[in-house]
Amino acid sequence: MASRPLRTRVNGTALERTVPDERILLDLLREDLRLTGTKRGCDLGTCGCCTVLLDGRPTLSCLTLARSAEGREVTTIEGVTPAEGLHPVQRAFVERGATQCGFCTPGFILTSVALLRDHPHPSREEVARAISGNLCRCTGYTKIIEAVLAVGGGK
Amino acid sequence: MHLDPFELHEPATVEEALELAGTLSGKFDYLAGGTDLLPNYKMHINLRPHLISLERVSELRGVSSNRIGAMTRLAEVEESPDLSRAYPGVAEAVREVATPLVRASGTVGGNLLLETRCFFFNQTYPWRQSLGFCLKADGDRCHVVPQKERCYATFSGDLAPALAALEAEVEVAGPSGRRRMPVEHLYNAAGDGILRLSLVPGEIVVAIHFPESARRARSAYTKLRVRPSFDFPELGVAAAVWGAAEAPEKVRLAIGGLETYPRRFDEDTDALAGAPLTDARVRTVAEAVTRRVRPVHNTFLPPDYRRRMTEVFVRRTLSRVRAPNGSVAA
Repeated sequence: MASRPLRTRVNGTALERTVPDERILLDLLREDLRLTGTKRGCDLGTCGCCTVLLDGRPTLSCLTLARSAEGREVTTIEGVTPAEGLHPVQRAFVERGATQCGFCTPGFILTSVALLRDHPHPSREEVARAISGNLCRCTGYTKIIEAVLAVGGGK
Repeated sequence: MHLDPFELHEPATVEEALELAGTLSGKFDYLAGGTDLLPNYKMHINLRPHLISLERVSELRGVSSNRIGAMTRLAEVEESPDLSRAYPGVAEAVREVATPLVRASGTVGGNLLLETRCFFFNQTYPWRQSLGFCLKADGDRCHVVPQKERCYATFSGDLAPALAALEAEVEVAGPSGRRRMPVEHLYNAAGDGILRLSLVPGEIVVAIHFPESARRARSAYTKLRVRPSFDFPELGVAAAVWGAAEAPEKVRLAIGGLETYPRRFDEDTDALAGAPLTDARVRTVAEAVTRRVRPVHNTFLPPDYRRRMTEVFVRRTLSRVRAPNGSVAA
């Protein structure tokens, strides 16, 4: 079994540790670092529950080798949540009822945070398109789209 | 699902990658974006003990108006306004691949070399074991067309038809040097769902090159799928037209999602050159193409439906590109 040192940053903190070659980023986060806000859903790239930001871009951590994070910045839901209170996108999700069981929510939040960073005032269609890789089996998406639009000043 | 242990290799150049490929002959897979390979590995499909990652090979990166590096992420192509303007059919195909999250990792080369797909193949190890393994992984029979010789797994890439319609070329590097060929020659028309490529062992797709003429074409891609996101094509039709609608110089049609390889239909579309692309002439070609294709029952939608939709989609796609404004006098 081959392993090698990995140097990366997770939520702003430098990380150096030896990881097996086949280690998936999702397992590094959940099992090794105990950052369990990132969820394992389908584990095959279909559902988006494992979404993290890799150098700011929403990425499926279940299909990314930990090695791919070498020299890059990983942001998880824990990194987006302030020490006290909620991120504006999180608050909008609460206020608009955009979360029910909550399992998919971290993925939606990270996808939405990246969308709003690049397009602060997205249209409904842009939001729908941006979240089209994140599955929610509870809400039917209407409330999620409304929450993201609310942050962007839309309706 | 955890990945079984493998050794990862991270070459920095094409030459290093080829050297590794020579040393590890038969015991490795190349790893591009991982969005196709890693799900298969998680399901214990055709595992190899070594992975050669192409992520650090800088030569394989980059988008310009006439070249796309093979390791360019699909999202980067999508975000390139020059490319989208120059080749609308390619832009449409890229936007329709899977989801934004998959496109953030998935690459152009990976989409071209997408593993063929089948109900009986893309399943977990216990699932496949319970039914009896198939020809394409661990077994000796086909569950789609019961026999023991030929695999019918379907080619489900969206980019290949779009590139083939524009007569784009693919550059590959291998143990005996570099070569270029039309995109459709990347696939083995005489093979099957297993022997699906014309590449020799170890060869790497380096880049896509667009000929000068591709910029003059009007192009489009139309995809049939159940959900408007994530799904692989049940049928993908790409068309390109050069010249005026009253007398087109050339018409190209390429279709994926139906058979073991993406296929062009020059024998049918050559007849369209030089005369107005009327509804009647478009319909004649659509009917001729539909008679040629042979989908089997190994994807979500039944083959008869996919065949009938082929006629509809060929008509729709050709109609969209036959004239600058989409219409032509009958």
